[in-house]
Amino acid sequence: MEHGKCRVLLALVLVLFSATLLVSSNASAADVIKLGFIADVSGIGAPFYKSQKAGLDMFIEEINAAGGVQGKKLELVVRDSQLKPDIGANQARELILSEKCEFLVGPTSSAVALATTKVAKEFKKIIFFHTSNSEALTTTAFQPYMFQVVPNTGIEGRGMAVVLSKKPYKKYCLIGPDYAYGHEQLNSFKSEMAKRRPDVEILDTIWVKLGESNFSTFIPTLMAKKPEAIDAAFWGGQLSAFIKQAKPYGVLKEAPVSSLFDLDMLRATGPDMPEGLTGYARAPFYAIDTPQMKVFVKKYYDKYKEWPADWAIMAYDGMIALTEAMKKANSTESEQVVKVLGGLKFNSLRGERYIRAEDHMANVGIYSGVTAKSPDYKEFLIMKDVQAVPAEEVWLPVAEVQKLQSEQK
Amino acid sequence: MTWQLFVFMLINGLCQGMLLFIIASGLSLVFGVLRVINFAHGSLYMIGAFLAYSLSTIFAGESLMGFLILLMVVPPAIAIIGFVLEVSLFRRVYREEHLLQLLLTYALVLILDDLVRVIWGGEPRSVTRPDLLAGSVDIFGMALPSYNVFILVVGPLIAFGLWFLLYRTRTGNIIRAAVSYPDTLGALGVNVSWVMTSTFMLGCWLAGFGGVLTAGLSNIDLGMGMQTIIECFAVVVIGGLGSVGGALLGSLIIGTGLTFFQLPFGRWALVFPYALMALVLVVRPWGFFGKPER
Amino acid sequence: MDDMTSSSRAGWISGITVTVVLFVLPVFLGQLGKTGEYWIWVSTEMIIMALFAMSLNLILGFGGMVSFGHAAFFGVGAYTVALLMKKADFPLYLALTAAPLVAAITAAIVGWFCVRLLGLYFSILTLAFGQLLFMIVFQWYTFTGGDDGLHGVPRPEILGPINYYWLCLILFVICFLIIRMIVNSSFGLSIKTIRENMERAKFIGINVRRYQLLNFIIAGAFAGLAGGMLCELNRFAQTEFLHWSKSAEPILASLVGGIYSLAGPAIGSSILIFLKIFLQQVHRSMVEVWAIVLGVLLLVVVLFAPQGLVGLYQNIFKKSQS
Repeated sequence: MEHGKCRVLLALVLVLFSATLLVSSNASAADVIKLGFIADVSGIGAPFYKSQKAGLDMFIEEINAAGGVQGKKLELVVRDSQLKPDIGANQARELILSEKCEFLVGPTSSAVALATTKVAKEFKKIIFFHTSNSEALTTTAFQPYMFQVVPNTGIEGRGMAVVLSKKPYKKYCLIGPDYAYGHEQLNSFKSEMAKRRPDVEILDTIWVKLGESNFSTFIPTLMAKKPEAIDAAFWGGQLSAFIKQAKPYGVLKEAPVSSLFDLDMLRATGPDMPEGLTGYARAPFYAIDTPQMKVFVKKYYDKYKEWPADWAIMAYDGMIALTEAMKKANSTESEQVVKVLGGLKFNSLRGERYIRAEDHMANVGIYSGVTAKSPDYKEFLIMKDVQAVPAEEVWLPVAEVQKLQSEQK
Repeated sequence: MTWQLFVFMLINGLCQGMLLFIIASGLSLVFGVLRVINFAHGSLYMIGAFLAYSLSTIFAGESLMGFLILLMVVPPAIAIIGFVLEVSLFRRVYREEHLLQLLLTYALVLILDDLVRVIWGGEPRSVTRPDLLAGSVDIFGMALPSYNVFILVVGPLIAFGLWFLLYRTRTGNIIRAAVSYPDTLGALGVNVSWVMTSTFMLGCWLAGFGGVLTAGLSNIDLGMGMQTIIECFAVVVIGGLGSVGGALLGSLIIGTGLTFFQLPFGRWALVFPYALMALVLVVRPWGFFGKPER
Repeated sequence: MDDMTSSSRAGWISGITVTVVLFVLPVFLGQLGKTGEYWIWVSTEMIIMALFAMSLNLILGFGGMVSFGHAAFFGVGAYTVALLMKKADFPLYLALTAAPLVAAITAAIVGWFCVRLLGLYFSILTLAFGQLLFMIVFQWYTFTGGDDGLHGVPRPEILGPINYYWLCLILFVICFLIIRMIVNSSFGLSIKTIRENMERAKFIGINVRRYQLLNFIIAGAFAGLAGGMLCELNRFAQTEFLHWSKSAEPILASLVGGIYSLAGPAIGSSILIFLKIFLQQVHRSMVEVWAIVLGVLLLVVVLFAPQGLVGLYQNIFKKSQS
């Protein structure tokens, strides 16, 4: 009986509904290629986002100034998924259906990436990942419309095991964020370490919620276990919070911490960053010696008045690969471009790279080094004695990739 | 576990508990007098933390003096925000149903949290610890950050201050009377609405104080209000709604519990506050120190 | 109320009209290409969330009890569907049958404790159990995927966007009629009596706790079904589904729509979802301030129209008549 009184309201809803349809349906234009960027704008990934956006913006500005791709201009549409997979998945759908994005650009969080790749698969739209790096994206959750230009969790975890297996430590504690990235990273580390150094003992693995920055209740457990070294799978704001808090507990003196020492994190930690810690980066501008990188760094510095973080470099590299594929396929549609992606060679800022056909993983490795002060950069530490661990040394062999892919549901 | 480690973990846990107490006591106090569960308490705490961050960028945060100024300036600022909210909004719903009260405070959560996003952006921030508190103190060969020790000292001071205010001053007598006999108090010629406003401001002051302390301890971000308010509920429920002493007990149990249980139970330690909260509500709904109602 | 027959006939007529319009809607939307598909998806979500809001209102509006843990049952339903379909290869119809059952069992356990408490303590205990379940799902990484959620829930081939919309609409109409029946039954009247005057209800021999528990279980079951439906729509289950802030959503929807009417919560929920997407379409930056808009709207309702929009409409309607 009450809903008799609701007719007016419902009518109102329907009128507004159709009004919205009109607003939203004439939003698309034929001469632009829309890239939907599912980004982790807020939260601990905020500095990463700024770098990613700067890299993408710079590339898009340059290519549009040169006439775009096949006469079409690129346009970036950003959404904030706040590190939450559910929000990211819904936004991917919204970007494809409502914003008419032809290509998707992935977020920072691997959990969001694993969620959005499913949506990209459903709608057959290319999604490329330049920061989120779950190895599952290329194996158990592989779908042909995905490609990755960032060293994945397997390459990183095993790569760090390669580096650390040469050190004398025998007792490790692992600590990491409690989501896909942390689990994959630490599991790869564990299995590779067990292979290379059977004498190494993993005392404990501590899981901390992604984004949690108060470590006061976790660090005492870390101390009680008395490890010789700590491998931490944190990143960004969570890592700098961990290091800042672990320091007065004396943890860093007892056991060196290894982790992802990217430029944004080093900048955020500033003088609090201890010297002499072994870590790795995905694309440290100061250690990659290619002519195109030099040009890029200069352009970037002139434009933004700061040094490019790993995220800007990899986002830029992703765009190089994507536009290269568009040119090769002579098309700006996902369905066509995807055909040339497997095996595509492209000239990245990190040097010549290719995309492996079987899992759409670019052969990008990690760069490991030891933190140190540098006279060139006053506000932050960098890594010295940087050694590249090439992807070919630690990525999964094709047979194993295919086996994992066939187990997919 | 050696007894040295036990003592170390106990002290570490008590630090956590003290921080939680400072925030939760405000929530409990406000409930005791106003009979309103203030969801927005967490948001006020977050605003306190972000205010502390902004002020610390203006005047040097690394000197102890600068930090103490934060502790003196920010909590009153939050109390003033509380004053505005109480007079303009809370007052209108004291006689309404619980549902409307809860929703009013929830509406404030939505508004205040988003305002923080608009004003400060989504990036996590932190306040640099003053030099004097950046080091550590040795406890049986284990280092405890001096900042945690600072919280451990400040917490009891606040607790003592609250006790003194509530049990040794006339204002405190009136506030306690307002908890126990809200109806007779007005008849005795006490300006009840003034009591409510000032209690609410005191609650907000505590939220702001907790916010400043947190800003020095860890990162502050947009989710901190929502997360902390639930922990505070757990504390307040365990100790007894409206009881400040109960809040002290509840927060110390949770603080030490979280530190100790991490060692044997790992990830499952985080379930403990909610499990205990549900258990207490089932067995003894009025908490350890509360009084059974009606 | 005095003119039952004519108003209930008007209700039936408008109800059937609305249902028919909703059934035909996707046919038109389907013509609009991707934009249409997007709006079919949005409409499906509206229907599901409307069911969620109505399920809560059995406790809230008719039972007079404020539950802050209702999302737990919604989430349990969603995870039931996700786990059964993803890990045990269950077909959709079985998974969607299991969702309300599992949610009902959970609600029975939680409710058994909760209905012993009154007023605010009931709210806090529901909140505590809700957060407890949230935490368990969050921490049980190997089983529930923890923070990652369970994504890529399979979708039967025949269930394209339009077909799934119809499926949800049919389920919604069935649930609506069942809830309507429950509310108007002697059970529903007893629940309302308990809300109005618990002492009197006890006095006339109503077993208050048992009735409240049963009501709690029924509400939980409908919430579980809604959760299962949303899980299949989005093809994922996420811990956020159980979080206390999710419990607030149907409360807001009910309050905006009106808690003392049957369709009010459903309408309130649809209006809120619609408003959010409408603002987002008007200007993207509105997403940033959506919570402020929602908060202000809620403040206005709490302070000036606690009967909700339906109540507001009824008031205006009555005033204009007299």
